[in-house]
Amino acid sequence: MTQRTRNWLLLAPAGTWFLVMLIIPLSVVLIFSFGERAPAGGVVPAFTFEQYANLPARWTAFKNTMTLAPIGTLSALLIAYPLAYFLAVKVDPKWRTILLVLVIVPFWTSILIRSYAWIFLLGGRGIPALLEWFGIEGVRLINTPFAVLIGIIYGYLPLMVFPIYVSLDKLDKRLLEASSDLGAKPWRTFLQITLPLSIPGIATGCMLVFILLMGEYLIPAMLGGGKVFFVGNALVDLFLQSRNWAYGSAVAVTLVVVMLITVTIYMRLINRLGANRDDVSIM
Amino acid sequence: MTKDSDYISKRKFMEELGRYRKGSITRRHFLNVTGLGAATAVMGAAMPGLRPSPAFAGGNIGDRVVIATWPNYHDPSNFEAFTEATGAHVQVNVFGSNEEMLAKLQAGASGWDVYVPTNYTISTYVDEGLIEPLDTSKLSNYDASAFDARYAEAGSVDGTLYAVPKNWGSTGMAVNTAHNGGKPISSWKEFFDISRDKFSGRAMVHDYQLTTIGSALNYFGYSFNSVDEAELADAEKLLIDVKPHLFAITSDYQPSMRNGDAWLTICWSGDGKQLNTDMPEIHYVLGAEGGEIWSDYYAIPKNAPHKDAAYALINFLMDPTVNTKEVLAHGYPTADARTFALLPDDLKNDPILFPAQELLSPLEFGAAATLTDPNRAELMARFKSA
Amino acid sequence: MRLYAVCVYLFLYIPIGVIALFSFNAGRHASQLQGFSTKWYGKVLSNPFVMDALETSLMVAFTSALLASVFGTMAAVALQGIKGPLRTAFDLLIYVAVMIPGIVIGIATLIGLVTVFDQLNPLMAAIWPDGFVAPKLHMGMGSLIGAHTMFLMALVVIIVRARLAGMDRALTEASSDLYATPMGTFWQVTLPLIFPAILAGFLLSFTFSFDDFIIAFFVAGSETTLPIYVFASIRRGVTPEINAIGTMVLVVSLMALITAQLLLQRGGKKAK
Repeated sequence: MTQRTRNWLLLAPAGTWFLVMLIIPLSVVLIFSFGERAPAGGVVPAFTFEQYANLPARWTAFKNTMTLAPIGTLSALLIAYPLAYFLAVKVDPKWRTILLVLVIVPFWTSILIRSYAWIFLLGGRGIPALLEWFGIEGVRLINTPFAVLIGIIYGYLPLMVFPIYVSLDKLDKRLLEASSDLGAKPWRTFLQITLPLSIPGIATGCMLVFILLMGEYLIPAMLGGGKVFFVGNALVDLFLQSRNWAYGSAVAVTLVVVMLITVTIYMRLINRLGANRDDVSIM
Repeated sequence: MTKDSDYISKRKFMEELGRYRKGSITRRHFLNVTGLGAATAVMGAAMPGLRPSPAFAGGNIGDRVVIATWPNYHDPSNFEAFTEATGAHVQVNVFGSNEEMLAKLQAGASGWDVYVPTNYTISTYVDEGLIEPLDTSKLSNYDASAFDARYAEAGSVDGTLYAVPKNWGSTGMAVNTAHNGGKPISSWKEFFDISRDKFSGRAMVHDYQLTTIGSALNYFGYSFNSVDEAELADAEKLLIDVKPHLFAITSDYQPSMRNGDAWLTICWSGDGKQLNTDMPEIHYVLGAEGGEIWSDYYAIPKNAPHKDAAYALINFLMDPTVNTKEVLAHGYPTADARTFALLPDDLKNDPILFPAQELLSPLEFGAAATLTDPNRAELMARFKSA
Repeated sequence: MRLYAVCVYLFLYIPIGVIALFSFNAGRHASQLQGFSTKWYGKVLSNPFVMDALETSLMVAFTSALLASVFGTMAAVALQGIKGPLRTAFDLLIYVAVMIPGIVIGIATLIGLVTVFDQLNPLMAAIWPDGFVAPKLHMGMGSLIGAHTMFLMALVVIIVRARLAGMDRALTEASSDLYATPMGTFWQVTLPLIFPAILAGFLLSFTFSFDDFIIAFFVAGSETTLPIYVFASIRRGVTPEINAIGTMVLVVSLMALITAQLLLQRGGKKAK
């Protein structure tokens, strides 16, 4: 068996799988996006750009997603970074494993159940009732974009903590000591050594969370009361309520294209940042 | 499976075991046929709920039945009684709209045995070939003559019976009067006006185009069923204007009304009754301009996996004594004269269940075209994404 | 710093605590505590729908994770030695598979397969020999495993490839210099080295598949996985049964983790 045949054989199952479960379905979506809605739902084959011309009708859904996804990613980063730093640099190694595991454990209860807990916590009998007890009245949390943001941060925090932890953990602690021995203030050490070295972790974490948020459906559906509408929610409605497969396909295609563009630009930027860092370290 | 499954020869046992190992029969079948199910059951008797399936008069109907229905629409103890009597557990899938039920059935196997469509959807299900004609010989508790024709006629299409009536009701509004100086409100005009004013952030509309758009149409005095473009445009303007003031867009509005987060909602009469019973300050009212009157039915989807169990469940729920318990729990009137006779007098005269005729007369039955109209569906989506 | 960490852990665990607390609620409404009871646990364990959903979820997660690990590893190994358009095509497919939101995978699989099945089913019925019932393709466990395996496979390729890239080339070269067959090199040198990555890929895949709601929501047909069951129950107005399910899944995974940790530690000590 030649090397070439062997490689072909090794690739065959994965290739077939991608063909049947990825290429064909995506092609059908692409074809349908140029079709028309059938009277009782479903799709009539056609070649029209009508569905794409109608995209502005879902502008708000795209706007919400494109605002809350970056805000959610950034908030998760801001909360996760200090924790990851604490776990990688500050904490007694004896406790490290157990503390790390404790970060993932909530991840094992279904996101549905975890979000459900927040419905109670953010509802009238949860945190608002507690605030009222302290004399702060009239606070409404549930069914607001803020509630959705809390749900997002809560749901995806571990995905952000881990990559950052890994990159900080690799960091040579002697560098930090050297820096402080040379009289650098702690935050200067952080800005000039720790932060640049943890950029790969930040990049990975942000990308993971961002990708998941762009297709989010559950958290806005559960904590937004039907009022905070993501592209994911628009898609579910189009396929499960109005049964408009043609328009739904066009929205799906647009979402994928927007994502591919955003993520590709993002990766370029990160690579450039990475390259700069290398220059610095060479100097 | 036959009744003599209690007796099984050694050879038969080995055969069945072989089939089970090869995977040609399920574990459940194997346990039933070999009697090991009974043994398991004895062991399980120590734990409540693990009891064996008692024999059911109608023969063995399997151990499960799946019903797709609406929120707060049954007495859970009736399902427990059904399980007790037949051994079949009832899984309840709850839906927020008829569109969603239709979409699930259209997309192929739903796994449901019984579902609860509303009057205006049945002809669409028949057109799409998604609904099974009913065999009344398997529904001994169904007596066509006991039903008020107004609430039963949509179950038959071209002379074939596809669905039997469950309950009827109206779509009005529930208002927590404690926040309105003890006063209820009385029209859809008031509903949408107060939502943007004193009740800002406290009102809810359904996640369901038929009732939400219908109520907005009523605000202008248009028909609940209108598909007229200009009228729909007015309704859309109103809805989009109200949206920032809404607490939620949801068809499961009881929890928020109960815990005080919301004060006003579009409401089905039974939910109104349930809320009013537990919290008398919540009133259920019909809009003066009109609104919806509807009738729900029990039906069996074409590809129902457990048809025997489906018939058994429908038949069980149509039993007047069982149905009386249902009505007492969910507060929707029944079109069944036999059940009506069993209701306590205060319910027979209840203004929420049986409103005065002059209040009922402006109400309209939903139309099939209202459900399938693509413009209404799109309007709802624009409203939700606005 | 420590205070901050405590706050984050509180943020992570208060909702979990609320879930666990309400699982012992005697009342049926999920928002008011009405005394202590363990009855919901009994109800969960005796509810055939929960048990079936769990069985389906485990089955789907295990099969998808296994298929994804095997096929993904095979592809990763092959891609290591390939350049040119084939490599580019695969890289692109993997990129797209990982990048596409779950909801789009769900929708695309649903309408793609339904359309293909609609074409194939009459065709199969026509060519099938008389007297036999032609099989009918429909959405169900097969389509669910198919969709999960697809995107998990991409994940495994990425993980395993990272490990392969970090591997010392000298080892495989030494092996072939010593006249080992390529197969021999793979089994004796490469596989043991990349095994941790495959295992990690498997475990990650299992978790993703077990917890997935949105893909299953569209492609599972009449099958009910645990997340689908939970979603339906939440809309019905939750009883503490859901809390009991969540608490049990959590406790079981914790126990599995502790066991694995203990086994690993013991194995480690023996090795020393």
